[in-house]
Amino acid sequence: MGARWLIYALGGGMGHFTRACGLARVAARRGHRVTVVTNSVFAPDVPLEDVLGAGAHVHRLNPDLAKAAVREAVECLLDGVRPEVLVVDTFPRGLAGELAPLLPGLRMGKVLVHRDLNPTYVERFNVAAAVEDFDLLLVPGEDAPFSQHPRAVRTAPWLLLERDEWLSRAQARQQLGVDPEDARPLVAVMGSGNAEEVAEAGAIATRLQERLGASAPVRWLAPPGPWFPVRPSKSGAPTRNLLQPVRVWPALAVMPGVDILVGAGGYNTVQEARVTGTPLVALARARRYDRQAVRLRPEELARTEAELMERVVALVGPRVARAPETYSGGARDAVALIERAVLSA
Amino acid sequence: MSPFSTDGCEVSTGFLFSHPCGLPAGALCPRCGKRVCDAHLTSQEDALVCTSCAALGSGDSEDDGSTNEDSDDASSYYTEYGYYGSGSSWSRGASKDPHDFTEADGESLRHEQDASFEEDLGGS
Repeated sequence: MGARWLIYALGGGMGHFTRACGLARVAARRGHRVTVVTNSVFAPDVPLEDVLGAGAHVHRLNPDLAKAAVREAVECLLDGVRPEVLVVDTFPRGLAGELAPLLPGLRMGKVLVHRDLNPTYVERFNVAAAVEDFDLLLVPGEDAPFSQHPRAVRTAPWLLLERDEWLSRAQARQQLGVDPEDARPLVAVMGSGNAEEVAEAGAIATRLQERLGASAPVRWLAPPGPWFPVRPSKSGAPTRNLLQPVRVWPALAVMPGVDILVGAGGYNTVQEARVTGTPLVALARARRYDRQAVRLRPEELARTEAELMERVVALVGPRVARAPETYSGGARDAVALIERAVLSA
Repeated sequence: MSPFSTDGCEVSTGFLFSHPCGLPAGALCPRCGKRVCDAHLTSQEDALVCTSCAALGSGDSEDDGSTNEDSDDASSYYTEYGYYGSGSSWSRGASKDPHDFTEADGESLRHEQDASFEEDLGGS
């Protein structure tokens, strides 16, 4: 019989809830009853339930809740869900520090999803003490401060979709508005992070298209959000040369049709590019808790937009070579580990 | 053992976040009175002073735009993008703006940033 899981995925952007949903849908398919809690500004627009399926649901908190309200909401959820497993993404102390005093008294399996964290935060907020309250640390695909902890286990990256759910190259290109017969490389600029960065992705895509001309089509990918539906300008005339966003979520599904991915250094963008073997050129965006410049490899990192442009142009020139796919189902391994190490203990 | 060695050097250092150096101190800066380790002691006008005071010059003149290569000014690490210090395109030909950020401003901003961990709930 399945257990009740509460997956704590508070945090901005799409990274926390995407990683959490990758775990949740596998757990739900194994018969567990899973609640994912998020406070991301993206969450109200993204159809998370469509990918989660039966057995899992999402609790969306208002992203504008103040610290005290978040604490209260989390306490209510713990009390209402009464989970047998609490999975906490990224923040051992909770996003607002609200979990730290609760963890020692929680009588349930406690699992931390552990990825890169700002060393200053780790040091000044005594994150090490909170880590000790967890039964299992899962390290999904990248290094993390406590990855050498005796209860830490590394897995492959967690992705939202299984390998057989990705579109074929022809299907993906068709969905992105490129004729499957068109042999030119497709450049996709991923909008993610926050509303400003989604808009910036559109500007970058537009400039890239101007630069590349007919040598490569460029697409601006954007998750569902307030930028849809695309409205004409107030004058009624289409905005000259401005690319319009293509609504895509989850972006992983169309990655087989993308030849060069342009984006930022967030967990999901980077792991999806690497696992699908898609060449990535990315700007390291400033984040409070993780370090995109550390996550990105030298061949992926562009330090300025000008450098980004040049790197993309250089990649478009010759026939773009994709690296081999490396999908290995990290989320499935993670669920198995939780079942074995926490639920069976 | 030096009478200062049990208390660390008080000169600010650090790349991203300044903090007291903390190395065993062997002297007191005659200008600011801070405890200073050997690494942060330098001579200026025949006096041994801490590097912070040395960077400020003799104390009675405005910044003349010269740089002190031995200073712990973190901006000296930035030579291109994002660098607004002396010698950059932003500073060339411009006189010192009285509204420029100072080290004291950096101190206040640093605390503000630290405080925003677990405060800015959309900032991850």
